[in-house]
Amino acid sequence: MDELLQFLIAGLKNGSIYALVALGFTIVFAATGAINFAQGEFFMLGGMLGVYFSGLGLPLPVAAVAAVAATAAIGAAFELLAVRPIAGGDPLRIIIVTIGGAVMLRQFALHLFGPDERPLDPFTPGPSIKVLGAAVERQTVWVWALTAVAVIALALLYRRTRFGRAMRATSIHSDAARLVGVDAGRMVTASFALAAALGAVGGLAVAPLTQTAFSVGTGVAVKGFAAAILGGLGNPVGAVAGGLALGLLESFTAGYVDPVYKDAVALVVLLVVLFVRPQGFLGGSGRVKV
Amino acid sequence: MSARTLRALAPLVAAAFVAVLPLLVSDRFLLKIFTFAGINALVVTGLALLFGYAGQVSLGHAAFVGLGAYTCALCTVRLDWPWLLAFAASGAVAALGGLVLALPSLRLKGHYLAMATLGFGVLMSIVFVEAEPVTGGVDGFGGIPFPSLGPLLVRDAASLYWLVWGTVAIAVVAAFNVTSLRPGRAMRALHGSEQGAQASGVDVVGVKVRTFVASALLAGLAGALYASVVGFISPSIFTFAASITFLAMTVLGGTGSLAGPLVAAVLLTLLQYLDALIPGIPTETAQALQRYQEDIYGLAIILVVVFAPAGLAGLWRRRRGGGEAA
Repeated sequence: MDELLQFLIAGLKNGSIYALVALGFTIVFAATGAINFAQGEFFMLGGMLGVYFSGLGLPLPVAAVAAVAATAAIGAAFELLAVRPIAGGDPLRIIIVTIGGAVMLRQFALHLFGPDERPLDPFTPGPSIKVLGAAVERQTVWVWALTAVAVIALALLYRRTRFGRAMRATSIHSDAARLVGVDAGRMVTASFALAAALGAVGGLAVAPLTQTAFSVGTGVAVKGFAAAILGGLGNPVGAVAGGLALGLLESFTAGYVDPVYKDAVALVVLLVVLFVRPQGFLGGSGRVKV
Repeated sequence: MSARTLRALAPLVAAAFVAVLPLLVSDRFLLKIFTFAGINALVVTGLALLFGYAGQVSLGHAAFVGLGAYTCALCTVRLDWPWLLAFAASGAVAALGGLVLALPSLRLKGHYLAMATLGFGVLMSIVFVEAEPVTGGVDGFGGIPFPSLGPLLVRDAASLYWLVWGTVAIAVVAAFNVTSLRPGRAMRALHGSEQGAQASGVDVVGVKVRTFVASALLAGLAGALYASVVGFISPSIFTFAASITFLAMTVLGGTGSLAGPLVAAVLLTLLQYLDALIPGIPTETAQALQRYQEDIYGLAIILVVVFAPAGLAGLWRRRRGGGEAA
């Protein structure tokens, strides 16, 4: 029973991170119809920039906010410089450009911060909290809280603000949105910035638990994408549910089968979902079959 | 000479040059670099079919190269199989892996295959390290014998070069036949408009899956050649970075062409060994090139896709005033 609870906690912790990355995929996919392969690198940048800023002597909360803001700015700049010139064309070109961007961001972090794994201080140091006999690290609580805040803020942004409605209008029909006065190009830039910020929050929150390095983006991208597909690509609620489900699945596989298979779970989930139910398990915008 | 005859002669002249190169170059290290260029060219020929003719990209082809390399190592060292059988098995195992990825991913419109290959690449680089009893783990797998064709042992630098480039030649001729005959027209139609191709009776999914399996097969064979030429393999060779290198070669080479990606594969391979090719080059320049190699690939991918989406092949076609290139 204790064991089950412990696996549950670990699963929901990683699942929250996958949910944030999956939301990033979903937002950019909704705006551009393409998969952004640099999404995992935004996660990496959040953690690495957090380590960097706190290393400069900034207090942790300031460093954290600066890291998220800087990553969002990088996301927006990436869209303006590389994606904008080919917008509206073949999605394959957008995908390849985001791959090139992912490589550049990874190398940028390598040159700037070096090849080593870097630790980040826990947000609130202290012993683990005991819940029903299971130990919950304080940082895990931070991961949950930050994910919850990010998801709620995103929901409010999309539902309640003029800006959010413009974003949704653009993703439903870009030309129609333009006709009623929405600056569709700006919305795409905003979606990249938002996706980058979400990834950065994830990378930052988990860095004290796992350490971070320039190379962590690729693996997280695959897992976040598997989560997004599981919930139905383009569906924000599905992205969160898919992330949590994938985290739990990984955790139970590692706990009850063998930790060796943990990293294979995401790929298997991805292939099985594509094969069995490509529109995801929570409805969402099903992709057209060939 | 008219442009037409020049165009017809160019591949023959290039092939002849590649064939006689070992007679002109006596330095064994240089020959080895050109041999590596051939191994990369073999992988990129498969990727060129996938990218230029089926409109898909792979971010994990290094994993198929690795799959082929480890299969070859296991079959020759542990199972004592004849080399040619091990070589064939390497291609078969990689092709099977390709089929498993392609079937779910390519049934759908869009670019799920790219993400599946990325996941496969990440997973396999973990497997190569973790499956220590089979792969030797981080320490690698050594003592892989030289290739042998029946009783003929291929071991000196020139013969290894010829074996590799001979395989490349067979692959390119096969790929050329595929692209200029009916399957190739189907592939090209598919790049233009999938719906249109389907309406004209092209089995869109089938063509894409077969193309991907063929590219995995060539990557597996390239891996077997690498393992046999070098004699030692380790997980640090079959990485995400290597997959990106193959992708950069393919994208730079261009769409709708086999010659473009082939040239790009050779050029980018030579770039990695610039200090050996140009003896006078300052060490700092060579080191900087090494250090910023992946940056260069990333930037090249972006620049080519934004400014010259048809790559080297497209530039060549434009200069020649349009027309289909092979």
